[in-house]
Amino acid sequence: MNAFDHEELGRLIAALRPVPAGWVRAAQELPAARLAIEGIVSRAVADAAYRDRVVADLESALAEEGIEPTPAVLDELRERFLSD
Amino acid sequence: MTVVSDEQLLARCRAGENPAWNELVERYSRYVYAICTQGFRLGDHDAEDVFQDVFTRVYTHLDRLREDASFRPWLAQLTRRSCLDQLRSSAREEVADEVEPADVDETLSLLDDALTVHTAMAALSESCRDILDRFFARDESYRVIADALGLPSGTVASRISRCLDKLKPLVEETGAAARPGIG
Repeated sequence: MNAFDHEELGRLIAALRPVPAGWVRAAQELPAARLAIEGIVSRAVADAAYRDRVVADLESALAEEGIEPTPAVLDELRERFLSD
Repeated sequence: MTVVSDEQLLARCRAGENPAWNELVERYSRYVYAICTQGFRLGDHDAEDVFQDVFTRVYTHLDRLREDASFRPWLAQLTRRSCLDQLRSSAREEVADEVEPADVDETLSLLDDALTVHTAMAALSESCRDILDRFFARDESYRVIADALGLPSGTVASRISRCLDKLKPLVEETGAAARPGIG
């Protein structure tokens, strides 16, 4: 990195703007989301009716666990059901 | 102020410490967002998908990262690939190979320097971090900053200047440690 003055420092601070509200929190909830996914999958293995409900509506299954149904979390849950 | 290194943070994430994961996301969220929106010019909808996808991959691949000191370039590459996938999925098939903006390398280099500056800011006092972030990253006026922090508005500019003076040597120190191959 080259030497810089106040103007250059300001320009570099300004280059990293705040992330829209909610995005960081959703990413921080990933560990909880993975635990919830494990719980949903385990319950679905033991309960065919529950599995059918989850497959029909993944978003509601996550919402019931208090997890934000972001596309990344939905993709993971979808993959788990396809692979199990 | 002692700043926790990426290596320490990653080790704590692997041990299942949620506060460490929260800190890792906080530390790199602006960088990932900036790569999406400035490097690849994604709109907020696509950028949000990439943002969540990147942190999901980080979380699920933590155990596979061979060199913790290489986390930052690894994250940049991961984000770049995810942005390209997003652009390709929304582009017409015949132009799918031309989705990368021509100046992306230049922008990512700027963002890398910006991350070095933000990393260095972590060693500043909270009041300095706050005033620099408000003025430069959040575009707040002297008046808004003065009201928010309870300062005479005539002192805001001089405080910003003093904080930049304190930041400069920290950036030089952090920049040396962050050069490619070192971490």
